[in-house]
Amino acid sequence: MTKPLIQVNNVSFEYSLNNNRSIQVLNEVSFDIFPGEYVAIIGHNGSGKSTLSKHLNGILKPSSGDIFVSDHNTKEQKLQREIRKKVGMVFQHPDNQIIATIVEDDVAFGLENIEVPASEMKERIDFALEAVGMSDFRKRPPHHLSGGQKQRVAIAGILAMKPDCLVLDEATSMLDTYGRRDILDVIRKLNNEGMTIVSVTHHMSEVAEASKVIVIEKGQVVMVGTPREIFQHYELLHRLQLDVPVANQLARLVHEYDHEFQADLIHNDEIVQEVMRLSAKRGVYVG
Amino acid sequence: MASFEFELTRNITIGQYLPTGSLIHRLDPRIKLLAFTILVIAMAICHTYVGNFIALAFACYLFYISRIPISYGLSGVKPAIPFILVLAVLQLLFYSEIASGGTVFVDYGFILITSDSIRLVIVSALRFIEIIFLSSVLTLSTSTTQITHGIESLLDPLKHVKFPVHEFALIITIAIRFVPTFAMEMEKMMKAQASRGAEFGTGAWWRIIQRTKDVFPIIIPLFNVAMARAEDLVLAMEARCYTPGSERSIYAKYKAKSTDYAALLFCILFAVLLLAFPFPY
Ligand SMILES: Nc1ncnc2c1ncn2[C@@H]1O[C@H](COP(=O)(O)OP(=O)(O)OP(=O)(O)O)[C@@H](O)[C@H]1O
Ligand SMILES: [Mg+2]
Repeated sequence: MTKPLIQVNNVSFEYSLNNNRSIQVLNEVSFDIFPGEYVAIIGHNGSGKSTLSKHLNGILKPSSGDIFVSDHNTKEQKLQREIRKKVGMVFQHPDNQIIATIVEDDVAFGLENIEVPASEMKERIDFALEAVGMSDFRKRPPHHLSGGQKQRVAIAGILAMKPDCLVLDEATSMLDTYGRRDILDVIRKLNNEGMTIVSVTHHMSEVAEASKVIVIEKGQVVMVGTPREIFQHYELLHRLQLDVPVANQLARLVHEYDHEFQADLIHNDEIVQEVMRLSAKRGVYVG
Repeated sequence: MASFEFELTRNITIGQYLPTGSLIHRLDPRIKLLAFTILVIAMAICHTYVGNFIALAFACYLFYISRIPISYGLSGVKPAIPFILVLAVLQLLFYSEIASGGTVFVDYGFILITSDSIRLVIVSALRFIEIIFLSSVLTLSTSTTQITHGIESLLDPLKHVKFPVHEFALIITIAIRFVPTFAMEMEKMMKAQASRGAEFGTGAWWRIIQRTKDVFPIIIPLFNVAMARAEDLVLAMEARCYTPGSERSIYAKYKAKSTDYAALLFCILFAVLLLAFPFPY
């Protein structure tokens, strides 16, 4: 049994508002994230996803409960740098996370902060820009990049710091289809190479790619499971104002007419295969 | 006409870097900044005709070796012309007390024009142009990143007196980084307001109060947006381990080469010449 990379133990959190009031946003949340996992966190607006993800690298500290990042408690101030080196974070707005006036310098920013020697920096920057496919843009100013390219630079800035885990808080939500596709490809590749991914998203087709899904509602974990397991609970998801992927909707529809057609398909290519399987079985030729 | 008013991003000249790969471009930015400072001081002090013409010729020569068309320098001078003219008139009329030596040309009421006051006027105009040329060469041949790196490393010794050098450089960098972003934002807002009937840039340019009022509906939302961005930016910086005041390593390391030192030496000699040589006029 491998040890979890991130342990979230009974975490509650409240934002304190100015006039001595506070609002409870997370309520007794517990789960583990293991090395190499691809975790999707879903839940509708205001359910506490961003608040939760900001806990994973210690930007926010639990009001009660603990979070351990490979045995480092995020509450310990002096471990803060170690924790943020292990858990990198990419945010929603492409424009608000690039600091420097050229790409290369922006990737260097994190490295300078963790005092990577100058001799090692170039190599790490090359590696990170290569990994997100932005090597040709290293001397460009950020305002000459598209949204998707900016997000890739933001990812590179984190990758250069060699984290164990990458947390993305709706990192694709401001992008068009192509930009999103690029980012997803990068994430897929990183995960295949062993990077742990935690992705907060509203796009169910992205969720289908994950190895584990955590559904939260009103600051509580309501379901944890593989995407296939989660999408079985169509009614519950619907009540939480969440969708299922288009492929799954289609599979359900066809299943109603033809019970032999499986209803638990979630990927587009699974649909194709199922059609081929059934048509082969029934002697219909599909080209 | 009106559409032109909205094209803010096109009009931004800050950091208008023109890479031609010339000798000047390849100089160490620290050396360039240092040489620039020395030359500007020398030009500001030098008060002879000949000295200033030589300095102007030198500034033009810098355009030539940096392979930047001199039209860039001239377009920098153009917006300064009204200012130079006003300054010249003021100097001519009111500086005669100070520059009252030399031959008297006009002495009528409070107006006193002497050869010295004419010299003051012409030399100041020349200085203006020289310094604009020089700064154009600097900014056109050096990227903003290089300039901020240069400033940071030149100011480095000030760390010993607890001056927050890195923070200072970071502030400049972020300011430069967000100029185009805010320009774009402002453009969007102006278009949004204009599509709802607001009028921008339709008033004549001399109606300053009217035109200032026009801008208010833009400024306030722009502040809002800026605050939101700043909050996001802080998060992103913290997530990348930024802690103000702590030790950092530095990516851009510049090594001055012998050409850099030669260029610096040359500029120092030139400055000494401007200041110390007894030019006849
Ligand atoms: N800085 C803050 N101060 C006070 N309340 C906050 C703050 N940030 C968020 N909240 C509140 O906490 C709740 C959860 O917010 P959070 O941003 O975590 O939701 P979310 O699931 O990420 O939503 P979205 O899908 O819109 O991004 C919301 O009700 C929100 O109003
Ligand atoms: Mg959110």
